This record gives sequence, C-alpha cells and structure tokens, in this order.
Amino acid sequence: MAQMTSKQRFMAALNREPLDRPPAASIVSVINYELMDIVGHHFPEANIEPEPMAELAAGAHDVMGFDSVMPIFSIAQEATALGCEVDWSDKDMMPNPTTSPWSDREAEMRLPDGFPDSFLDDKYVRCAIDAIRLLKGHFGDEVMVLGKVMGPWTLSYHVYNVQEFLYDTIIDPDRANRSLEILSPVPVAFANAQLEAGADAIVWADHATGDLVRNTMYRDFLLHRHQDLIPQVVFPDGKRAPVILHCCGKSLDRIQYFRDAGFAGYHFESANDPSEMVAGADGKVILAGNVNNPITLFSGGPEEVRLEAQRAIDAQVEIIAPECAVPLQTPVANLREIVETCKDNPSH
Amino acid sequence: MSKDVLQGNTMSREEEILKGLYEHTLVGEASQVKELTEEGLERGMDPLNLLFGGLIPSLQEVGRLFEIGDYFVPEMLVAARAMQGAMNILRPILADTGMKPIGKIVMCTVKGDVHDIGKNLCNIMLEGSGIEVVDLGVNTKPETIVAAVEEHSPQLVGFSAFLTTTMPFFKPNMEALAKAGLRDKVKVMVGGAPVTQEYAEKSGADGFAADANATVRLAKKLLQDMGYDVSMGDGNTDAGGAPSALAAAVEAVEDMMKKAEH
Repeated sequence: MAQMTSKQRFMAALNREPLDRPPAASIVSVINYELMDIVGHHFPEANIEPEPMAELAAGAHDVMGFDSVMPIFSIAQEATALGCEVDWSDKDMMPNPTTSPWSDREAEMRLPDGFPDSFLDDKYVRCAIDAIRLLKGHFGDEVMVLGKVMGPWTLSYHVYNVQEFLYDTIIDPDRANRSLEILSPVPVAFANAQLEAGADAIVWADHATGDLVRNTMYRDFLLHRHQDLIPQVVFPDGKRAPVILHCCGKSLDRIQYFRDAGFAGYHFESANDPSEMVAGADGKVILAGNVNNPITLFSGGPEEVRLEAQRAIDAQVEIIAPECAVPLQTPVANLREIVETCKDNPSH
Repeated sequence: MSKDVLQGNTMSREEEILKGLYEHTLVGEASQVKELTEEGLERGMDPLNLLFGGLIPSLQEVGRLFEIGDYFVPEMLVAARAMQGAMNILRPILADTGMKPIGKIVMCTVKGDVHDIGKNLCNIMLEGSGIEVVDLGVNTKPETIVAAVEEHSPQLVGFSAFLTTTMPFFKPNMEALAKAGLRDKVKVMVGGAPVTQEYAEKSGADGFAADANATVRLAKKLLQDMGYDVSMGDGNTDAGGAPSALAAAVEAVEDMMKKAEH
C-alpha cells in the first residue's frame, strides 16, 4: 500500500479504512524535558504563549515522528476563564487549578458573563486556539492537528472541587447534575473554536474514571450528556468532527457506555488489557493507547516500549499512543520507539 | 463490635446504638450517626465504646469494601463525613490518657500533584490505628519532605501521586532523603491510583499500598520490621484501646473535612 501522510493515516484509522501502518499518536501530551531542550521552548511559556506552545507541540511530529500533534498539554487551559486560580508559573509541572469557586455552597453556579465570547477571549483559552492555528499553518493537511477540551465532569472537578463534587454525586446529586448542566456548553464552544482554527479532531477528556467512581456514575450522570453534546462538536461547515474520549484509569467496566456515547474513539490506559478493551469496544468506537507511562516509557528502555506497543498493535488497537500525558522526564528515544514499532508493522 | 451485635441477636438499646452507628456510617447517613452518638452518651455509654464499637469498625469496613471494589471514592467520602458528625460530639469528651502512638509517619502528595483525597483517607485510617500522621499536604517539594523528616523524626514516610506525570517525583524525593542522610532512618511507602508494586520497587520505595486499608497493614508491617510494637491501636476495646490514637483519628477526619470545605 502506498505511503500515507500522517493525517491520512490517523483519519483512516478513525474511519476504519485501510492503513499503510498503524498511526502513532500524541493524544494528550508527549511533551518532555528533552524535547523542550531540542525545540528550545519550555514550561511555563509553552503553556501560556501560542508560539512556544505550537512549536513545542510540533516537536511531537518533527522530532519524534508522531502522526498527530497536540498543543494543549495540561488539563487546566479552561480553568482560569471559569474562575479558578491556576498556578501557571512552574517550569517543572503541569499547571493545575488551585481554587474552586463553586466549592462554596453559597456561590452562584453560573458561567462567566458574556459566555462564550468572554470565555474564548480569555488569555489561556485564546493561547490554545492560536497555537492550533499556527500548527495548521505549519502542517497543513500533512499532520493530524488535535485539539483538546475538558468535558463537564472534569470541569466540575476544577470549579466545584474534586472532593466536593464526588461527595455530592451521592449526597446532593441535583447540585452535581446542575454543575454538569451549566458546564456542558463550555467544551462545545471551546472545541468548535479549535476546529475553526484548524483542528482536525478533538480530544474530549472527562475523568469519570474507575479509579474514583463506579461505572453507573458515568451511565447516570454523563452518558446522556455526551450523547447530546458530541454531535454539537462541528467544523465551520457544520459537519460533525471526530471526537476522541480520554478517561484515565480502569475503564473496562464502562467501555459498554463509552461506545454508545457518540465518540469516534476512546483513548485508554495500560490499567486495561488491550485485547479485553478491543472486545469491549465491539467495533463501535476505535481505540487509542495504551503504552504504560511510569514503568515502560519513563523507567524502561526502547525494548520494553516496543514490546508494549506491539502488544497493542497485535490486539488491534487502532491508534498507538502513550496511555496518558507522559512524565516530563520521559526520554525522547522511548517515545520514538512507539513510532518505529508502528513503522515496522506495515499494512496493518 | 461483638458477633451478637452484628447478627442482631436480642440486643439491648446500647447494642442497637452500636449497630446503628456501624450501619449508618457505612452508608453515610450523617444525621442518624449524630443522633445515635448523642443518645449513646445520654445513656452513659463510654465514648470509647461508641468509637471502637461502632464508628471505627464501620470506617474499616468502608476501607475493606473499597479494597475489593464494592465502594468507590464518593462512598468513602460520605462515610467519613458522617463519622465527622459523631467526632464533633465525641472529641471534647475524649481525654488523652497519655498513651503514645505506635509510630509516626510523614505523609504528602508529591510535587506537581494537587490530588489528596486518597492520602486523606489513608491518614484517617492510619491515625485510627494509632499511628501519628504529619500531613504535609499537596504539591510537596523534596526539600519540604526532608525538613519535615528532620523536624518530626518519623519512622515512616508516605508519598502519594495520582497522576502518571507526577509519579516520577518519588525518586527525587528519595534521593533528597538520601542526600540529607535520612534515607536509612525511615521506611518509605508509596501509593496512588496509577502506582503499582512494580513501579514502587523501581523507584526504590520500601513498600506499596493500593488503598487506605492496605496502607495501614503496610505501615504496621514496616514498623514491625523496624522492631516496634504495633499491638495497640487495633480497635480492641477489651484491651483498653488507644485513646490518643482515637483523638488523633477524630482530628484527622476533621482536618479532612475542613480541607474539603475549602
């Protein structure tokens, strides 16, 4: 089969079409210190300024060979615009929200005045959109440019406080549901702005993970919202965009719900056996993953990476990727080995 | 709690209260837990009995249910918060008899990580088992850990990480302890949702615990390995209990809830 471009390969995998080889992807973040040194852009600038963000993201393809690039490295890009305080200053860590305005039960739960325009004009939100525009300009249709948004569950962790939100899923489910309802337009607005800027698909992170909540929480709180929201993620011409769900941790017990939520793909972690996950997906959603971060990519060497990437390929996982945002100390050589393993599996 | 009480055989009102505390805490029914605690005290029941006979066993069962996958974090949170209602009443009554804790641990979430629910639940279980906890909070730098170990001289140190991006900080933490000449003086435990035994070993930790109950078991084992007596603080009222540990448990629950409120 003729060699495909990176974008062709990624899109073919999403559409279950013939491939020259499996795509190797940056789904949430493959950024690491070594890449920062090679590219010459570091945190915190690469999280808060469009040019460093785009150039560092481009390194995933230009330096490491991945078929996709993802400029939004953290989970916090929207948080400031929603009223959270975020520490953007550290060069050694991903930014994280440090305050949650809705954790005060007396606080009025509502989106900022002027939403969505005011939200999309926020410095950090705008930074991500502008970085996507720069990446599209750089790569055109050669490389898959991914955008990323946090879904209403993860946004509730930010603005409501993780502990308070989880507590209320049992004690005050109406308030928890109200949070999800109010926040639901945020990822749609952010996703559509990223698509307008040139993103080819959207990663939608919603961490209703088996490490925290039972699968029925996803079914009862989120499934119907996803079914409603995902079709609203559209390109400027109104055509539906591919949306890939990211949810960390154990998720085999909820893939039965994920596959019916309207996502084109699901990005999963190494806590789940790839063969079991493929069986659970039942052909209804394509899978991306699931090379282990701490043991394999961070602590292991290329040989270990190759074994694990090959295991995912053999299990017929469609897109091969690290399981989650990689530790910043991960060696470039280990990440490159994912790409090399995919190259060594032609005509998948 | 006695077998008869658990089985509901011909119970006295006092036994019903203990059973009620156990059962309502288990499902996070805070108002019932508070009412039963007040009634128990009005009837002259020993506050230690209310704790060791109903509340602490319930929280231990919550931990066990989490361990086997029947409970998730929300269920643990509501149980802990229901217990807090009882603690608010019992705390002023509990007098510290001066019995010393069985050990001391410095706990923290590693640098770059702000997730602390799991660590807080571990703290409650540890304190309830008679281990004094010095909690350094979240996003803890290696130098802060070293300073705390120097200041508090614990036998144990616990690192928690909830993200695969922050797990690599286990190693710099241990290197910082080694550089300060402290690594051989403490046993290091690690945990957190993505952490595994294999990763714990690779990072040079002395032990890995997957959840709060396992944390208590590991802490006691490590203390035992170090030659400490861990026989007290097991929640056995007949043996006299460990009031200082209980008071510490009360404090731990309250601290956790305060953090949740902020």
